[in-house]
Amino acid sequence: MHLDLSGLNFDFVSLLFGQASDTLANISRYILPLLALWIVARCVRSMLRERYEPETWAYLYLAGDVMVPLRHWECILGRAKSVDGQVDDPSVERMHACLIRGPQGDWTVYNLGKGDTYVNGEHVQPGGALIQDADVLTLGRVSARFVDLTEEERSALLKYRHAPGRQVRPGATMLLLTLFQLILLLQQLTYNPDAGVGVAMGFGILAAAQWTYFTVVRTAGQTGFEPEILALFLSTVGMSVAASKTPDDMLKQIILLLAAIGLYVFMCLWIRDLKRVKSVRLYAFFAAVGLLAVTLVLAPEQNGARNWIQFGSFSIQPSELVKVLYIYAGAATLDRLFVNRNLIFYIGFSAACVGLLALMGDFGTALVFFVTFLVISYMRSGNFATVFLAVAGAVLGVMLILTIKPHVIARFQTWGHVWEDVDDRGYQQSRALSAAASGGLFGQGAGKGWFIKIVAAETDLVFAVLCEELGLITALCCVASLVVLAIFVVKNASSGRSSYFVIAASATVSMMLVQLMLNVFGATDILPFTGVTFPFVSMGGTSLLSCWMLLAFVKGSDMRANASFAVMRPEKFSGGVGVEEPDYPEDGADGYYGGGAYDGGADDGYYSGYSDDGGYPADNGYPPSGGGGRRDGGRRSRGGRR
Amino acid sequence: MKKVTKRAFAVLLLVALVATGMGVYLFRLIRDGGDWATFYANRSVYTDGVLNRGSVSDRNGTVLAAAGEDAFHYAADSTVRRACLHVVGDLGGNIGTSILSIFRDRFIDYSFFTGTTTKGAAMKLTIDADVSAAAYNALNGRKGTVLVYNYKTGDILCMVSTPGWDPEQGINFDVNDPAYEGAFINRAISSTFTPGSVFKLVTVAAALENMPDFWQRTYTCTGSDIIGSQTIKCTGRHGTLTLEQGLACSCNVVFGHLGSELGGALISQYAEKYGLTTAHTLNKDIPTAAGSVPAAQGAGDAAWAGIGQYEDLINPYAFLRFIGAIANGGKVVEPTILYGKSCGSEQLMVPSTAQTLSEMMSYNVQYEYGASAYPGLEMHAKTGTAETYGGTHAWFAGFITNANAPLAFVVMAERAGSGYGVASPIANAVLQKAVSVLG
Repeated sequence: MHLDLSGLNFDFVSLLFGQASDTLANISRYILPLLALWIVARCVRSMLRERYEPETWAYLYLAGDVMVPLRHWECILGRAKSVDGQVDDPSVERMHACLIRGPQGDWTVYNLGKGDTYVNGEHVQPGGALIQDADVLTLGRVSARFVDLTEEERSALLKYRHAPGRQVRPGATMLLLTLFQLILLLQQLTYNPDAGVGVAMGFGILAAAQWTYFTVVRTAGQTGFEPEILALFLSTVGMSVAASKTPDDMLKQIILLLAAIGLYVFMCLWIRDLKRVKSVRLYAFFAAVGLLAVTLVLAPEQNGARNWIQFGSFSIQPSELVKVLYIYAGAATLDRLFVNRNLIFYIGFSAACVGLLALMGDFGTALVFFVTFLVISYMRSGNFATVFLAVAGAVLGVMLILTIKPHVIARFQTWGHVWEDVDDRGYQQSRALSAAASGGLFGQGAGKGWFIKIVAAETDLVFAVLCEELGLITALCCVASLVVLAIFVVKNASSGRSSYFVIAASATVSMMLVQLMLNVFGATDILPFTGVTFPFVSMGGTSLLSCWMLLAFVKGSDMRANASFAVMRPEKFSGGVGVEEPDYPEDGADGYYGGGAYDGGADDGYYSGYSDDGGYPADNGYPPSGGGGRRDGGRRSRGGRR
Repeated sequence: MKKVTKRAFAVLLLVALVATGMGVYLFRLIRDGGDWATFYANRSVYTDGVLNRGSVSDRNGTVLAAAGEDAFHYAADSTVRRACLHVVGDLGGNIGTSILSIFRDRFIDYSFFTGTTTKGAAMKLTIDADVSAAAYNALNGRKGTVLVYNYKTGDILCMVSTPGWDPEQGINFDVNDPAYEGAFINRAISSTFTPGSVFKLVTVAAALENMPDFWQRTYTCTGSDIIGSQTIKCTGRHGTLTLEQGLACSCNVVFGHLGSELGGALISQYAEKYGLTTAHTLNKDIPTAAGSVPAAQGAGDAAWAGIGQYEDLINPYAFLRFIGAIANGGKVVEPTILYGKSCGSEQLMVPSTAQTLSEMMSYNVQYEYGASAYPGLEMHAKTGTAETYGGTHAWFAGFITNANAPLAFVVMAERAGSGYGVASPIANAVLQKAVSVLG
């Protein structure tokens, strides 16, 4: 991978601009943070300010023309306020039934709890029952008419949904990003005596790659690019860090970044089909545990941890890849959430992962997994007892780690005291703070810093490099980028189709935020130094690959119209309603809904105490919600299909 | 689904944690950024461990310390280097209260906004290098301190502390050598000393405000007296004295009686009121040592406390403020060492008290010390010869009212002899120089 270009280095910038190059670079120091702010602000505006209308997939008509829209692929019906379709009648259980839309557009109804559910008068069995347009669904003593939307109706609704990119054009943001890259390159060539052809090529290839990606995806009709632009922004900053650290090794860095973007595209396409995603989940479980176990056996111990496996001149960090597998396997569709067995299996899986990481001595990553576990398990169950037990278990685990790993204890002891031992235990952080303060708001200039020469400056202490070379504003923009991604995911959650995507996306951003905190606050002595990477920015190939792959889950949560190619468009899978056999349950190993595994689970406080009703976003921009009349017409015309 | 989507809000908890942490970082950066940036490992401001930017000069532009192309240099004149050592400090940070220690971030022109991306500051001090050199020469190898400041503007012209060393040479002496005792501290601001008779100004002020028959009182001095169970010795047999005469000849018998009558608590209270037991800060950042005047219990101890002995300890800088208040009608203009940076003022004493003290200090000079000892100076002063183990501290504190040179001063020579014999000539030499440079 290493290509020696040092012989080719010459001063481009002086060649082009002569004496003015220093002045130019100096002025550019002030433009860089402004561009960073502008890029992030544009993404924020289009991600968080644009309107979000949920999709509507079907309706339930109750007596008296009360219409309940079904906004998700997985909907709970019942008396409780926290359900997706509320049916307020004493004969209805709090969580009575569950309606699930299959990938082919087929709907299945499952009975939850102790109540009775009927489709057209037929009792719904534990395996669920298919329900079709105009069928009568009976919950307890309440009957409702189920109305599936036709293709025409759905596309009529689609026209009223907002697509991103009109208010804030992604192409313009891409241009700003390219300008940002150009300025970084200019500074590197001016300030970094070792930067030359390799660095220029690296930035050039990055720009070419991002525009190719943009052109292809834009041509395919997708208009949402904010997650990619933020990730590209962070990766660009990472490229500058790489150019400062190893300017002669840029080719390796750019190839890794291209591979990462390629894997991202693959993941986005892969998760379009939820059925496909679910079909290999079990393999992901085993791959995750297997990879960690193999690492534990094969990796040599370095600095008290064994997390690197060497392949010739190439080394990988399997725990980074396991992050993707962990979320892939840990997120779950709503139907699975009702089976305690699945949750127990998941806790076991998590314990295995965290335990193996602890054995490897990778305390930082173990902590990242643990917090991600908390988020996923909270979202999956909401059962505080379970979470509490897990916390207790983990606390014991942490104590165990502390007793067996002296270097972890030492880091905790140094915490908050780095200025008392600046040349030994506080060596890295004291220098990190000093360099960070030196950068001021605008930085010394990319490639001009001294801190990058410190061990781990390009990974665990990278925040100080950002502050020193690019300035506090740009560094804060990097932090903000990840925060914005997280808020974006929270905002998307309300319109999510399947809980799988909501959970996966939430887990992804949680994992990134925890890494961000451990990295930034560890380097600045606000938290103990744990040595984890800054997502997208820290150098390190495996980490970059995993961040981009994880980004696919964020992309998969974006339900704005035509926003995300990780989300299949509704019109693409509207055919063949009801003709195929139901796919649920396809995964016999888990046996959900089978054998009454759910009996008695729903009503005993599982959901109690969760009755606040925030409601949905207002249906602004929707066509008038029709009346019974229009619906009746539709029913007749489609009746023949059955 | 609704439940799951609502639970996604848990992510916002992490967002809040990120925001909190960043807030902590920013707070610390604003508060401590200067210390971080001046850390000796910061290679953007240190080249091979030596500061590579910044300079500091006296009020006339004489360079006191500056980073050059190749090396860091101090003042060109070796006496000036020694005289200004404790104000300017050295690169090694050996003087904790110096400009190069406390204001190193300003010296390199660090700011939260620009970091260390600028070329360094050209700092200017209120110090006058020539007056400081004169003070250093007048101290003539004695341990001690000379403080001179303009009581109208607050500018400190001279803050010399001895012993010191030549910073250009570095520390090439044995730090345990008694001759270099306290070489690393600025005696003017970081030490406290027994004040002796200069403290009688505080006792007089307390008497003025608490004894309605102040002007009618007389005392008879026979060379010594017994107050409480303690013998108060005087320097001579002064006969019958008014309080004004008692201050002029610094009669211990008079002040012993005053002290015991006023009581230890009231004396302590006045010392506190005049800021003599407070730790001040010079230019908001340079800390000074707090003196202590504990409330003496018995009549004998109170007598000694009123004389400025007992357990009284005074910081020269705090005493300079007190003198400055007397000179300026009771209102002290806070001293400053950074040129052009005024630090406000405070009404320290009642104007009439300040007026009376001022007149009495002038009377001291006219009828006791002799105005001819201070040619051309409109001198108001008080001597002090403080008894300590190993010798007497020679004090001379006061102010001049020359039109172009409204200067207050405190001279203290440690275990060097009498106030009039040792400290007074030092003060005269320094003030003559000061008046000449101020024109």
